[in-house]
Amino acid sequence: MKRISWPTIVVIALLVLFPLVVQSDYYRHIFILSLMWVVIGSAWNLLAGYTGQVSFGHAIFFGTGAYTAGLGVTKLGISAWWGMLLGGPVALLVGLIIGWICFRLRGPYFALATIAIGEIFRLVAIDWRSMTDGMDGILIIQSFRSKLPYYYLALALAIACVFAVYLVLRSKWGYYFVAIREDQDVAETIGISSFRYKSLSLMISSYFTGMAGAFYMNYMAFIDPHVVFSLHDISIMAILVAIIGGVGTLWGPAVGAFIMVWLQEIFRSAFFGLLPQWVSEAHVLVFGLLVIFVIRYLANGIVGDWSKITGDWFKKKQLSYSSSGN
Amino acid sequence: MDVFLQTLVAGLLIGGIYALIGIGMTLIMGVMKIINLAHGQLMMVAMYITYVLFEQFHLDPYFALLVAMPCLFVIGALLQKYLLNPLLKVDSILPENQVLMTVGIAMVLTEIIRFIFRSDYRSVKTGYSTATFYIGGISFNIAMFIAFGIAVLLTVALFFFLLKTDVGKSVRATAQNKEAALLMGINAEWITVLTYGLGSALAAAAGTLLLPIYYLFPDIGGPFTLKAFVITMLGGMGSTIGAILGGVVLGVAESLGATYISMALKDAVAMVIFLLVLIFLPGGLKTLTKI
Amino acid sequence: MEQNGVRSSTTITYRTGGANMRKLLVLLTLVLAFAVVFSTTPAWSEETVKVGIILPLTGAQAAFGEIERNSFVMAAEKVNAAGGINGKQLELLFEDDTGKPEVARSAAEKLISKDKVVMLGGGYGSSETFAIAGVAQQNGMPFLVNTGSADKITEQGWDYVFRLNPPVSAYPAALESFLTEVVKPESCAILYEDSAFGTSGSKNFAETAERLGIKVVMMEGYSKGGVDFKPLLVKVKQANPDLVYMISYVMDASLLMTQSMELRVMPKLFVGGAAGFTLPEFVKNAGNAANMVYSATLWYETLPYPGASEYYEEYVKRFNKPTEYHGAEAYAACQVIADTLKRAKSFSAEDVKTALAETDMETVFGPVKFVSYDKKINQNKLPTYLVQWIDGKLELVWPKDVASKPYVYPIDWEKVWQ
Repeated sequence: MKRISWPTIVVIALLVLFPLVVQSDYYRHIFILSLMWVVIGSAWNLLAGYTGQVSFGHAIFFGTGAYTAGLGVTKLGISAWWGMLLGGPVALLVGLIIGWICFRLRGPYFALATIAIGEIFRLVAIDWRSMTDGMDGILIIQSFRSKLPYYYLALALAIACVFAVYLVLRSKWGYYFVAIREDQDVAETIGISSFRYKSLSLMISSYFTGMAGAFYMNYMAFIDPHVVFSLHDISIMAILVAIIGGVGTLWGPAVGAFIMVWLQEIFRSAFFGLLPQWVSEAHVLVFGLLVIFVIRYLANGIVGDWSKITGDWFKKKQLSYSSSGN
Repeated sequence: MDVFLQTLVAGLLIGGIYALIGIGMTLIMGVMKIINLAHGQLMMVAMYITYVLFEQFHLDPYFALLVAMPCLFVIGALLQKYLLNPLLKVDSILPENQVLMTVGIAMVLTEIIRFIFRSDYRSVKTGYSTATFYIGGISFNIAMFIAFGIAVLLTVALFFFLLKTDVGKSVRATAQNKEAALLMGINAEWITVLTYGLGSALAAAAGTLLLPIYYLFPDIGGPFTLKAFVITMLGGMGSTIGAILGGVVLGVAESLGATYISMALKDAVAMVIFLLVLIFLPGGLKTLTKI
Repeated sequence: MEQNGVRSSTTITYRTGGANMRKLLVLLTLVLAFAVVFSTTPAWSEETVKVGIILPLTGAQAAFGEIERNSFVMAAEKVNAAGGINGKQLELLFEDDTGKPEVARSAAEKLISKDKVVMLGGGYGSSETFAIAGVAQQNGMPFLVNTGSADKITEQGWDYVFRLNPPVSAYPAALESFLTEVVKPESCAILYEDSAFGTSGSKNFAETAERLGIKVVMMEGYSKGGVDFKPLLVKVKQANPDLVYMISYVMDASLLMTQSMELRVMPKLFVGGAAGFTLPEFVKNAGNAANMVYSATLWYETLPYPGASEYYEEYVKRFNKPTEYHGAEAYAACQVIADTLKRAKSFSAEDVKTALAETDMETVFGPVKFVSYDKKINQNKLPTYLVQWIDGKLELVWPKDVASKPYVYPIDWEKVWQ
């Protein structure tokens, strides 16, 4: 536990204090979105960055979580908050099934399979109108007028997710995950069941992503299949968040989430209206250039290569991070 | 019966276009072992080149092929040389870095085009865009028919290039075993640059032939990227004949799915077939034909 | 060592092993500082009345967003030239929703809490409009919808949400009388894009058909952007309906028509449910196949509404391309906004809402008065029209008394498609 040192506490304290200092609902909103992406990015990172299974289909879990919450309202007549309890487990179940299908595939084949399944989920959600209401989407009324409950819930989720990843990495699971990432065959020869541990990693990852989806339903109060099962806006965004921040680093996705969400909003609003409108058209271009730049020159992301820049031994530490637990 | 036949014909014809899209991808995936998620976007760039040639110089899309393909060859080769190849030397956690790089490339290509041409829908209308001939009440679109023919021609040409020429043999050698190819004195880096260029040029051919019967806007690439890798996996990575087969199978499956299941689910049908192939026939159709 | 100006980062700079943590801290603090600075930026000027307009300015629907923005700008300039809002200038703040509901939501949040607008306008896509409406209602911010047309938007009992345009269920109203008086079809096929707009419209048209005793022989959705609609059209051909009703955006619309021509699908008439079928791009792309196709529409430039034809001509002159009903909706929305704000006792949300509810005026888009009917509240009721592409030009053909040209029916497709 000694690594949960006071800088972490300062960060958390700052985040706890933020909405009390900043009264503007707009900035609170952007922070809530950023925190939600911390959850998704970290969850993706556990599966891809630490276990080496690059998923292009995290929208499956996000959408499943969101629809679990939404369908609870439209079909069962229960509060969408039940989704916060049920969204994770349902997404986990879906993850388990997908893992069972896909984990026999490796590397790019696994990635392709997740894209395909993601598309299937989206198309079925659109077409299965009696169940999902198709593109009419699901609309609920937000429970709270104030942003504060959502903010603190998102913060709690983000902390829980990062902390869970941290705990997993300190345990022997984390060691197995990294072993599978480094070389699955070698891992098998030393008795690590790659299927079992890949599934475990996917379960944790899908659980948190599903929670984020359920949160999205509660907070945004409106979902439709294009939004929550989107290949571009969810699955690929999850990857970008992790890459920019640093794949295979604990804090990378968190940093990446804040960078991506803010960048998107700053550009979309043309630097809060300070620059001419056409700037707002450049936000995806900036994303793209940033991705190319980071992959080309900072292969381990901003957090991962921060140490490289400052001449630290961070990379070594990063590897031992996961093994130092036992 | 007419319904079935017309559906089949429609599927076969669209399959020809799909095949064209797939050939370039299969070449790239076969040699580099990466998924090129910028494939559809490269095709989109070629379509804009064709569009400009048509609007400004009234050049027929079939002649525009002669410009668009070399242009895309150069673009593709440069991308490989300066963006993808350097990644091989970088020590990173994920081997999929190259794939992720293609995601970035795809985004940038789309947005640059959007900057220049805006999001407006554009189209190239030629005399033969909607020209059709009929055999026993079944309609055949001429532009698609020609595209099918060119797809077959390009495949055959590529097939002989890979089989008979020295460069082609080097490409195949690199695809089979990069280390061994290096030992045999093949400049593998140059081969990858060539391959990505060729793959892009083939994508350009697909786009240019598609343009007269379709339309154009910057976001058009994404769906075709998906199609391209589905075709590649159906046919078997690196197999040109497989790409033709994969394209036709995909086209027919989508058409039949649209007619007999639901138009809205035709893409889902394609994805399910794709998954099944991935799991039960990982080598693709080429393992059945042994070509 | 870096960013000395930032309070908390300096205190932990020398901690070893926390390099990434330090980075995160620096970043967060910067972001925080940034946020505080921006949240306290004062309003530029007290002399303007700010209204937020949310439109898709980028993304796949940007073409429509642009027509609407141009029209809003034109109308606002006119308002300001005529003395503005009781002496104050009307300032429109445009926000881009990029065609995504969650971005639309962010934009609405920003306009309300940061820019402190007095009311909201815009709303193009149904999903985005719905998301904005939710935010507006929750924040007690009057929102005038001018395009988003899914029925549910005004069926939620949201008293801050007003809609100027008819809901999608009302689009085929003119078609209805045309069908009963002229065509008298016995069967129809409905093809629709599986968006909120398309689904909602198809459901409503199926009900209309049922009511008129027209048998719906086929009803099928498709995802937009397809290359090949032939499998769908083959089924239409086999079902052989009298009427094919399509709810599609512009490029799908042209492909549906060209491929119908290729397959020789020949019902008594093809009718588009507004959206894509009235745009100049439709005829440009579909060419001959667009000829004689009918479409429902909400507006036409020769309608006897005050300023309608002037608006059309000015638009064409200024932007060098034609405008259509989306533009007229936007222009009218700006007229209503200006009128409302002039009448409002103050710019508080309550007063603006009251003034908006009392609106009773003529616009280029027709008379605007918000009423409640069926499940809807604050909904403007307007007649709709039927247009037909006759030899490359869009003509108003129904109702007869306002028609710009007599309708062409019955249609000999073999001759038209030659």
